[in-house]
Amino acid sequence: MDSQLVEARALEAEITALRRACVEPPAPGEDTSRVRKSFRETYQADSEGWELSKDLRSHLGHLESEIQFLSTLTGISIRHYSKKTEDLTSTEMTEKSIKKVLQRHRLSGNCHMITFQLEFQLLEIQNEESLSSVITDLSIIMEPTEYSELSEFVSRAEERRDLFMFFRSLHFFVEWCEYRKRTFKRFKEKYPEAVHLSEGASSSCMGIRNPSRPGFELVIVWRIQIDEEGKVLPKLDLLTKVPLQALELDKNGVIETAPLSFRTLLGVLGIEATLESLIKSLHTEASN
Amino acid sequence: MELANTLSQDGESRGGVLAHLERLETQVSRSRKKMEEPQSAQAEESALGTRIHELRRLRDKLRAEVKQHQASVKASTTNVEPDQTLEITEQESLKRKWENVKAILQAYRFTGISGKLTSRGVCVCISTAFEGNLLDSYFVDLVMRKPLQIHHHSIPVFIPLEEISAKYLQTNIQHFLFTLCEYLNAYSGRKYQADRLQSDFEAFLAGPLQRNSLCNLLSFTYKAEPEGQSFPFCARLLYKDLTTTLPTDVTVTYQGSIFF
Repeated sequence: MDSQLVEARALEAEITALRRACVEPPAPGEDTSRVRKSFRETYQADSEGWELSKDLRSHLGHLESEIQFLSTLTGISIRHYSKKTEDLTSTEMTEKSIKKVLQRHRLSGNCHMITFQLEFQLLEIQNEESLSSVITDLSIIMEPTEYSELSEFVSRAEERRDLFMFFRSLHFFVEWCEYRKRTFKRFKEKYPEAVHLSEGASSSCMGIRNPSRPGFELVIVWRIQIDEEGKVLPKLDLLTKVPLQALELDKNGVIETAPLSFRTLLGVLGIEATLESLIKSLHTEASN
Repeated sequence: MELANTLSQDGESRGGVLAHLERLETQVSRSRKKMEEPQSAQAEESALGTRIHELRRLRDKLRAEVKQHQASVKASTTNVEPDQTLEITEQESLKRKWENVKAILQAYRFTGISGKLTSRGVCVCISTAFEGNLLDSYFVDLVMRKPLQIHHHSIPVFIPLEEISAKYLQTNIQHFLFTLCEYLNAYSGRKYQADRLQSDFEAFLAGPLQRNSLCNLLSFTYKAEPEGQSFPFCARLLYKDLTTTLPTDVTVTYQGSIFF
């Protein structure tokens, strides 16, 4: 009955306020200050609300800058997040003071050019001694799907319900992609006629040719792979395109062994120096 | 029973009976009141209920009227656009934004790396998990100065923190954090597996599980069957790569003779 009394009082108060609002005659536009006053009177009770909103605004600003900072720190921007909680504690469990809760989380955002949408379930079981949290289901949607290496990785992460590995590998993958893009771009700018990027800046192949020696081309394929454990590793290969005549003249089999030599060179000089030396070798030979 | 007592003593019996009758009477009147009370309480409740019902109706009616009123006022003062109306809805949208932002901040812990701004810089929290089981978290308190410094941390001493920070902390903080993440998650996973081996397979182990603090070297003796005549095997697992949870070298030896 007490709750009913409270409700009745609240309703009465609301009705009084609403009556006040109705009584004000509509001003046809001449006296704007009066209109302002009437609104202020109507919502007089919210005078504390003004103070609250000022505090709220500054606090909100602080929180938003914290998110911005985290996004810069991790490279991951979370745009939306929602959570639903379901209590699965049975009466038997409550007797033994065990609590079982299922949380459904939904998260979406992006890491550089890759956007993701995650849904996962977290089962929390709390007994007297400890709290165990287990991810019981994970589903990931990613765009863009042009990175084919990612689809296999995503299904592996989903299978293992390894949420942290997903973000970790995603970060390293993106880092390698950006590094590849920067490297290819740098070589393209430095040797514009020799270097050819078939798919543009984010292509995975770089072609080296010499305009004065058509028919010869070295293609460097730079793939970024994610292994079973979630480790991100670059894999570079060399493909050669050589006219038949040149092949016949190649007594030492240099062209045949080129891919292998390329790998060895990578191990010695590293990626950038190896690529540069290849470009130079084709380039300078022609200019001689 | 009381009646029996009061009746037994003759001298007091009359007073006793009267007293008893009085008692009975008060009992009856009390119980009657009790029966009436819920009834009257019920009556009160139902009266209150109808009143609330009516109040609600009136309130809804008034709400609709006020809405109409506001709409007409708004229409006639469009050029003014009072700040007050904006402020009301602004407060609501502010509150909604605030809740959304707070939720997103909390959600960062699911990426494995989250943090809180401090007066010095940031306190980063790294979470670990293995096969969906959420495990320990570790923190690194960073001071935002040039050069970047680690104020204090909870990273175990056998994780090569100095090595990793020397390589990446100043040049690429993201790489530093995610590499640390790799090592910590791998350690957490190995530790979890070792713990589970000890607890879940106790019956199979013929002796204690020997391990180092990094949990990358495990040595134990086990039997293929918990009971029975199976002979014990000695296993040695070495995890050379500290960023993985799978061993790189496994040696299983058997001491004894096999009868064919």
